[in-house]
Amino acid sequence: MAEILIQVIIAFLAGSLLLGLHRKVMARVQKRPGPPIVQQLIHSLKFFFKETAFPKTVSKVFYIGIVFILALIWVVGVIVGPVAKDSLLILFGVYAVYKIVEHNSGSSSGSPYGKLSCVRAVLSAATELPLFAAIVFVYLVTGTMNIGEIITYQSVHGPLIYSIPLAALMFFMLIITKSPYSPFAITKDKVLISGFETEHFGFLRGFMLFSEAIAWYVLLWVFLTIFFGPLNAVGYLIGMIVISFVTGFINATTPLLSPNHSVMTQITIGAICFAGTALMIFTGVVA
Amino acid sequence: MDFVTLGGNLLGTIQLGDIVLYLTPFSLFLFAVLLGFTVLIGLSKPETQVEATMHYLNNTEVKVGPKELKQRRFLAVICGIASAGAMITGDLFNFTLFMALVGILNIGIVSAVKQTSVLNSAFNYGLIAMMCSLPLFGGAAIILAATGTLSLAVLSQMPASPMVVFGAVMMLIGILGESGVAPFFASKAEMFRTAGSPYIVIIHLSSLFIIVRAVEILLLVLW
Repeated sequence: MAEILIQVIIAFLAGSLLLGLHRKVMARVQKRPGPPIVQQLIHSLKFFFKETAFPKTVSKVFYIGIVFILALIWVVGVIVGPVAKDSLLILFGVYAVYKIVEHNSGSSSGSPYGKLSCVRAVLSAATELPLFAAIVFVYLVTGTMNIGEIITYQSVHGPLIYSIPLAALMFFMLIITKSPYSPFAITKDKVLISGFETEHFGFLRGFMLFSEAIAWYVLLWVFLTIFFGPLNAVGYLIGMIVISFVTGFINATTPLLSPNHSVMTQITIGAICFAGTALMIFTGVVA
Repeated sequence: MDFVTLGGNLLGTIQLGDIVLYLTPFSLFLFAVLLGFTVLIGLSKPETQVEATMHYLNNTEVKVGPKELKQRRFLAVICGIASAGAMITGDLFNFTLFMALVGILNIGIVSAVKQTSVLNSAFNYGLIAMMCSLPLFGGAAIILAATGTLSLAVLSQMPASPMVVFGAVMMLIGILGESGVAPFFASKAEMFRTAGSPYIVIIHLSSLFIIVRAVEILLLVLW
């Protein structure tokens, strides 16, 4: 129990600071000073003490319940990942629930912006297939879905990034998609104000920011663990900083794609990587 | 491949002849989330959807009427239960039945809506789901014909023959179409434009979770 609590706190603090760094990098690339790196963390904490309002149009049970579910599933993500190093499939399930929460927090408010974000969340389901394919390829190479056993496999055979780099690229695409201001972030397009988060205020927004920080940490942890493992704490720290830096640079220099272009780009990159990795595995390039 | 390698430690089994219902952290997580959402759906009242009125500077409020609410809530709850069943079943044919039921219920949940675009989308999705029911059931039938069993416990211990691989590929096509995920998601997205957030959420949830469970089932059958 204590380990879970410690890991959740680490995930929240590290995730918030990494998102702060991501924002700082974007600002510096665009020749702006940008907010301090700790700003994301301060924002998250601040919202818990702000006044909370409930629009009269909402479906109350879901409107309130969904943010707790969001926080809870990423705590489950921390338990399954960094704490227990259990099955990758459960993490895939956690990500699926995250998509549902994104969808429902938008629609349960009754706001047209949230609604449009909800419809786009359904369209952006294109990111799940590359994720599913990446996990299956990891399984085909290592023969296991257990994260602990995948780490052991890599300690013997070397990191998977060298044997299935295109599968790693597919997973990295998911990380780019979920990073703030991503070219694929069609659910949070500025024409939708803040997308599915638009009508959530006060402590509800606090929970959302809390979950965003943990989600970012867990996604980076899983990516580093299954493609660069085994790593020590310093390795994880450097890896997470580098990925936050790279995604910040990419997001600062690319415009937001339209929903159709976003989906087509993701599917095209996913299909190329899928075909490439399948070819490498079935022709024996990967042992 | 066995259940433990894919879904984590085996928490328990219920033996019904050669059909074995099994519980791993993976299936338990999916089952619990679906039941949790189903309870929330049963308790929720729908939101009032605010839309801009064309050519005027005012808003239109779209509400779900009491009769429509009862019908949609009932179908959404049944859909949640069917999806939860698909998460813990240990039988390939039961999985395909739950899958087909979820496809029908997904259309039913929006069938009482009076928006043409939503009904058109449901009609298109229905066509795809209907076409994909053939490879879905056909794939399961081919696996049964090739192995003599539909039990996942037995199938997971058998080597995959070419016919089993063919059956699994057919099933995958069927699952993709029935659940309406990529590349068929475009037919389904418009269905979500209607009001009644607690009911339409189960459409998305059931599709995604069935895909997640299908990954486990196909890996069990193939490796």
